Amino acid sequence: MKCGVKFCGGCNPRYDRGAAFRQIKDDLSDIDFVHAEEGNPVDNLLVIGGCTACCASYEQYDVKGNVYKMWDKDHIENIKTKLKVTMED
Amino acid sequence: MLMTGEQYIESLRQLKTRVYMFGEKIDNWVDHPIIRPSINCVKVTYDLAQDPEYKDLMTVKSNLTGETINRFAHLHQSTEDLKNKVKMQRLCGQKTAGCFQRCVGMDAFNAMFSTTFEIDEKYGTNYHKNFVEFLKMVQEKDLVVDGAMTDPKGNRGKRPSQQVDPDLFVRIKERRDDGIVVRGAKVHQTGSINSHWHIVMPTQAMPEDDKDYAVAFACPSDVEGMFMVYGRQSCDTRKLEEGADIDLGNAQFGGQEALVVFDDVFIPNEYIFMAGEYDFAGMLVERFAGYHRQSYGGCKVGVGDVLIGAAALAAEYNGAQKASHIKDKLIEMTHLNETLYCCGIACSTEGYPTKAGNYQIDLLLANVCKQNVTRFPYEIVRLAEDIAGGLMVTMPSETDFKSDLKVGKNGETIGDFCQKFFVGNEDACDTEGRQRIMRLVENLCLGSAAVGYRTESMHGAGSPQAQRIMIQRQGNIEGKKALAKAIAGIK
Repeated sequence: MKCGVKFCGGCNPRYDRGAAFRQIKDDLSDIDFVHAEEGNPVDNLLVIGGCTACCASYEQYDVKGNVYKMWDKDHIENIKTKLKVTMED
Repeated sequence: MLMTGEQYIESLRQLKTRVYMFGEKIDNWVDHPIIRPSINCVKVTYDLAQDPEYKDLMTVKSNLTGETINRFAHLHQSTEDLKNKVKMQRLCGQKTAGCFQRCVGMDAFNAMFSTTFEIDEKYGTNYHKNFVEFLKMVQEKDLVVDGAMTDPKGNRGKRPSQQVDPDLFVRIKERRDDGIVVRGAKVHQTGSINSHWHIVMPTQAMPEDDKDYAVAFACPSDVEGMFMVYGRQSCDTRKLEEGADIDLGNAQFGGQEALVVFDDVFIPNEYIFMAGEYDFAGMLVERFAGYHRQSYGGCKVGVGDVLIGAAALAAEYNGAQKASHIKDKLIEMTHLNETLYCCGIACSTEGYPTKAGNYQIDLLLANVCKQNVTRFPYEIVRLAEDIAGGLMVTMPSETDFKSDLKVGKNGETIGDFCQKFFVGNEDACDTEGRQRIMRLVENLCLGSAAVGYRTESMHGAGSPQAQRIMIQRQGNIEGKKALAKAIAGIK
């Protein structure tokens, strides 16, 4: 499964978004994570916001499946579970 | 095409910008130890645009070309764009703890775009097309442009044409078929040396007598007849000390201001955006100032974030972090800082489209934003100094801490004594960590970064009284009186 990743701009993140992503990526090594780019379709998209606004733009991307959003480090486990389920489906 | 940070620095080396400092011409200004930290600061605006963790704020699609550009070269297309501008500035402030200089150009682009549209509408001139072509080039090459507004002004009681010396405001000295010759100077120019081009604008509203001073144009920073004299900053010569690091507080980044002189500079017609349309000088100034007052609700907040963090670390390194008054002071600093951010976001959210189509901030809220910026950083600095303690201004130099000169009865060196007596909370840091954080607090409160964080907060984008005039104009006192009458039952 190819999963796009899109970070918000990081103006005032309440946690380390990069570290959160690395943790998700390390624990889900079967998923091919790529930085989201226009013109490069992905199966699913992970949007990593730094605060509750989770204001990252992502409408421009070609996503075949679901868009998963997180904006708190407490969301990491939940996101991993959802991505695992999606991968198994 | 986006440039990388390294490409930006190399692009500066291609310029022949004339720079003077301490009475001498500086040929290799790119690598000069006093100037380089300010270049590093601008470089961050390029580096962050390449980083997936930040590019959502740092880059955007150009409405002119459809290409991805750096947001610092963008024309705001929505209130969302206006908010993203403030967020980007907070981010850049956090990453540099200094002035990253590129916002003056962005604010000039947006003010110039809408004002030239309206000049052309009234006078049938060609300024808007000139400006759009210029901006396309800037976006395409990912250039840094200084938005130069503030004139020396001479006797503040006199208008430009009444001054004893006619050059105290930038003016059209000569009109030719193919362009104009301009003369004068701009002061306090943030990032002028680090800019590829300049946009020059009038500094105030002008009556007809001053029409030769109602001039706006673009020129390369190394155009014939133009040069810069570098502005001094507190503690600047520390940067010239051999191996200087800890004593600088912020060894990587810094701000930059300069006097920019136009000694009869020729401007071709294609780069002229206003040449005598005095009735639009006020509009251009008001719009540029409005954007720039919004900017301060982002950039100074980012620097404030760093200072709050430094104060919290200083408390921890002193072993005082559990004291209730320390916690309360950190809360107060955060409250003040986030209030500034609220203002930046608010004036953006209430923005509106101009006739030309780009978005303008809410003028009242932007002026309230900047008015708060003239005050709150001073209180944040006061609290930081309170928390840090006097050591931030009394500590011996980095050289003393490293000195192996034996001075003790048992052969101890000066370095040994410094290490022994300046130890803090040994569970949280070593002596060098304490040194570093004290010097960072010093740098921001009264060292070279205080130029940007304190006095620039006071006077940048207009001194406090300029905002109060705008607040008075925009404040709708008559409407408020009507409200009071209605409630009080006064017919």
